Amino acid sequence: MACMNEDGQWIVLMGLLVALGLFFLALIINQSALVGQTTAEGVLEFPKNDIRDLREAVFDYVKTGRLEAVQKDIIAISLERKNAVVSFSAGEQQDVSGRLLRPVTIHYNNGVTEYDEVVYY
Amino acid sequence: MVNDSGQLYTMEGVAAGIIMLLTVYIVISTTSIYTAGDTHIPDMQLEQLGSDVLAMMDTPDTNGGTSELVGFVRNYKGDELRGAFIDNCTTRSGDPDTGLRAQVYLSYRTSSGGINTTPLSSPDPEFTGRENTVRVTRWVQLTGSPSLPTSVPGDMRRSSLQAVLVEVLLWRA
Repeated sequence: MACMNEDGQWIVLMGLLVALGLFFLALIINQSALVGQTTAEGVLEFPKNDIRDLREAVFDYVKTGRLEAVQKDIIAISLERKNAVVSFSAGEQQDVSGRLLRPVTIHYNNGVTEYDEVVYY
Repeated sequence: MVNDSGQLYTMEGVAAGIIMLLTVYIVISTTSIYTAGDTHIPDMQLEQLGSDVLAMMDTPDTNGGTSELVGFVRNYKGDELRGAFIDNCTTRSGDPDTGLRAQVYLSYRTSSGGINTTPLSSPDPEFTGRENTVRVTRWVQLTGSPSLPTSVPGDMRRSSLQAVLVEVLLWRA
């Protein structure tokens, strides 16, 4: 447009603004898809159900007499099938608010998520 | 060259062309299309559903009783386990969800100390190995008395208390 015709500059300017606006709208739509993806991947990556299940298995182990074979089963199968390093033990019974409970130590680490707990059971 | 006027117009034209190309490139590369499979949202829902169903099946009906899941594993009834699992997954109103498929595996520590994983249910004839599957697992403790049936794999410890892992592969056909 140099020196040819000075008319219609507002129209050109508004056209530019609309184009920029469309560009940013496209960016926002793109980000909204990413939000769902990262949420779902975060949920899938986090072993919530694995840890809950492990806790129940450890409580079962304590309840059924703390057999070494069961402890070995859980540790070995966790490593082989879930890629998780697991360690747990139960101490001697203690008086906790009038109830005899064992301190149960649970460790879980699958390389991404680490979980440590001492619970009286 | 006929004459050497109009160089500024040429430069302006080139600059405008570059700007337009750049804009088109940026806009197209910004709006990548995500499909449902890319975002893993159905996977997440399927995994949570499967985990919940396994947890429910592992809950005894009465205090101190044996759960449905333990019964299936103890008696080595893989197909019945799968049937009950699918039934529980699809008990909801609306969509019957007939495309849901599952395959049950059992992992155990052998008497020699290794880990074995064996299919508990009979193989799904339509399974190709390329399905978009999720895996849900559940620990099960098996008591040794009365000892496990002879249908269990030979290298499984049959007479002592042990922990085994039930693994369910879940997908939509």
